[in-house]
Amino acid sequence: MNRCLALMALAGLLAATPVAAQKTTLNVVTAGDQNMVDYVKDFLAPRFEKTNPNATVRAVGTGPGDAGSQKIAEKLQAQKNNAAWDVDVAVIHQKMAGDLVREGLLAPYVRDVSTGRLVTSEASKNALGTNVTGYVIPMFQSQTAIAWNPALVKAPPKSYDELAAWAKANPRKFGHNGIKGGMSGVAFIVGWVYAYGPNPDKLMKGPYDSTTKASWDAAFSKLKEFNRNVVITPGNAGTLDMLNRGEIAMGPVWVDMFYTWMADGKLPPNMRLQLIGPGMPGQPMYYVIPAKAANMAAAKKFVEMATSPQVQAEGIVKKFNWYPGIDAQHVKAQLDDKTWNKLFVDVTPKDLAAKGKVFPIKQYFDDILEGYERKVLN
Amino acid sequence: MQDRGRLGMALVAPALAAVLVLFVYPLGYSLVTAFEAKGGGFTLGNFAKAFEFYSVDIGFTLVIIGLSTLLIALASIAIGGYLVLGENPRAVALLRWLYRWPLFIPFVVAAQCMRSFLAKNGLMNNTFVALGLLEVDQTTGFLDWRGIVITFVWKQTPFVALLVAGAMASLDRSTIEAARNLGASRQRILFEILVPQVMPTLVVGLILSFVTMMSVLSVPLMISGESPTMMTVDMAFRINNYGDYGTANALGFISYLLTASCAWVYLRRAVRQ
Repeated sequence: MNRCLALMALAGLLAATPVAAQKTTLNVVTAGDQNMVDYVKDFLAPRFEKTNPNATVRAVGTGPGDAGSQKIAEKLQAQKNNAAWDVDVAVIHQKMAGDLVREGLLAPYVRDVSTGRLVTSEASKNALGTNVTGYVIPMFQSQTAIAWNPALVKAPPKSYDELAAWAKANPRKFGHNGIKGGMSGVAFIVGWVYAYGPNPDKLMKGPYDSTTKASWDAAFSKLKEFNRNVVITPGNAGTLDMLNRGEIAMGPVWVDMFYTWMADGKLPPNMRLQLIGPGMPGQPMYYVIPAKAANMAAAKKFVEMATSPQVQAEGIVKKFNWYPGIDAQHVKAQLDDKTWNKLFVDVTPKDLAAKGKVFPIKQYFDDILEGYERKVLN
Repeated sequence: MQDRGRLGMALVAPALAAVLVLFVYPLGYSLVTAFEAKGGGFTLGNFAKAFEFYSVDIGFTLVIIGLSTLLIALASIAIGGYLVLGENPRAVALLRWLYRWPLFIPFVVAAQCMRSFLAKNGLMNNTFVALGLLEVDQTTGFLDWRGIVITFVWKQTPFVALLVAGAMASLDRSTIEAARNLGASRQRILFEILVPQVMPTLVVGLILSFVTMMSVLSVPLMISGESPTMMTVDMAFRINNYGDYGTANALGFISYLLTASCAWVYLRRAVRQ
C-alpha cells in the first residue's frame, strides 16, 4: 500500500509543473538521505543551469536506503510501456542497479559521455554480481570503517579477531546499530560473515547457491556471543552520538558521515578511523539514465558535468567527504594536498584496496540479514 | 421524497468515497495480502514466518505497551486526583498549566528529545551527576525498552489525564464533601469515591492510548533499534529490506487482532452507555 501511495505522490509531484515551451525541465530523481537531494539542488543544478540556460533542473528525493532506490525502480516499471518516461537522471544504490539493467530499463549511455573514459573501478562494471558495464557511472564511493576514541582506546584493533577480544575485555564499550537501524550496522555484520564464514569471495561474486547459508551457523553463534558484550545503538547517527558522548569507545560508521559530523563539530576532532581486516564493505551510488528518458541529450550532459574531475573534486570530495566515483588520479590534480590527505589519513589507499570490500550479491545479502534475524536476534 | 433521498446520498457520497478509498480499501488489501503467497494463491506461510522470526518482538510489544498503559493509568489518576482534591491553589494552578504540554508534541519529536535526554551520558544523568546524586560510573543509559516505556508514558499521560480530570471535575462534589466530613483521607476519597465513578472514562482513555501506541514507529526506531523491539519496526524492515509485503501484512494482521480486542471492550462500553 505504501508503495502505491509513494508512487502516486511521486507521479503527482512530477506532473505538477507544466513543461514550458522551449525550456527543458530535467527531472533528477535521487535515492538516499536529504544531503543527496541538497547536493543535486544546491550544488549541481545551479552549475548546470548556468551553462545550459534553457534547462531547469528539478531535484526529487525518494527517501533513504534501498527503499528509496526501490521506489525509483517501481516508478520505471510502472511506465515501461509509455513512449517517454519522466525520470531523466536517477541516482540509485548498488542493490537495485543489477535489477534495472536486467529488466532493460536503463540506457547504455556511458559510451556517449566523455567522462566515461575516466572510470575503471570494479564498481563501475559489477553491481553485486550483475554486469553493469556501460550503464552506470559511480557518483561516489562510500566506505565503512571502525571509528575509535583515542582517549579511551590505546591501540585500535586491526582485525575482527582483535576487535572481538577487545570487546570481551571491555564490555559495553563497543557499539553497533544491528541491521534494523541503518547500513553501518549492516556493513559491520556483513564483514563479520566475510571474516568467519567460508569463502567470502563467493558471496561477493556468486553464483548463488541456496545451501550456502547453512555454513554460517558458527559465525552467527559467535556473533550472538559477541553481541552480549556490546551496546546496540539506535541507528547510524545513534552510533556517532554515543561516540561523541563518550558512552562507547568504538563503533562502525560511514567514513563520509564521520568526517561531515567532525566538520560540523558534532564529533571531537581527535577521533580516528580504522578499517579492520579481513575487510568491511562499502558501496557506490550510481548515476543512471532510464532507457526512454524524455530529455536524453540533456540528461547525458548533466551526468557528464556531474562526473567531471572538477565537480567530483569540489562537490564529492571537498564538500561531502565521499571518495570520488571516477578514478582518483583524475580528481587529485584538482585538489590541494591538505583536502586530499584528510580523506586518506586513517584509511590509506592501500587499506582501501586490500580491505575495502563490496556488499554480497543480492540473494546472499538477503540470506545474511535473515540469518541474523533468525540466529542472532531470536 | 425520492429527490431528497438522492440529494442526501449526493451529500454523503464524497465523505463515503474518501472513507472507502483511503481506509476500507487499504485495510482490505493488506488483510488479503497477508494470506497471499508470493506468486499468488492462499497461504499461511506469511504467518508462520512472522511467528518464527518475530514472536519475541510480538510478546515484547505487548509487555511494553501493557506496562506503559498501567503507568499512564496511575499517573493520570494522580494528576486528576490532585487537580480535584489538591488544597494548595498555586500548586493546582501550576499543575493544570504544566501537565498538558506533551499533548502538543508529536511522537517523533518526543523520541528525538528522549534520545539525548535518556542516554548514558545524556542530560538526565549529567544533571544527577552534577547534583552529586550519582557518580559518573554509576550511570546507566535508558535507550532500550525502558526508554520506549518512559517516552510513551510521558507522551500519553496528558491525554488520559485530560479526560480523567474533566470527568472528576464534573462529578457531584457532595459525595466528596460528605466523605471529608466523615474524616476520610484524600487517598481514600480518590480511590474509593472518585476513581470508581470515572472508571468508564479512564478505560476509554486507556484503550485509545493503547491503540495509538501500537501504531507508533518513530519511538522504538529512534530509541531502541533491535533485540528486542516493537512490531512496527519489524514491519518497516520487512518492506524496506526485502520488499516482503506478505510478512509485513501478516504482522499488521496480528496487531489488528490485538487492537481489535481492545476496540471490542470499547464498543461494549459505548453500547451499554
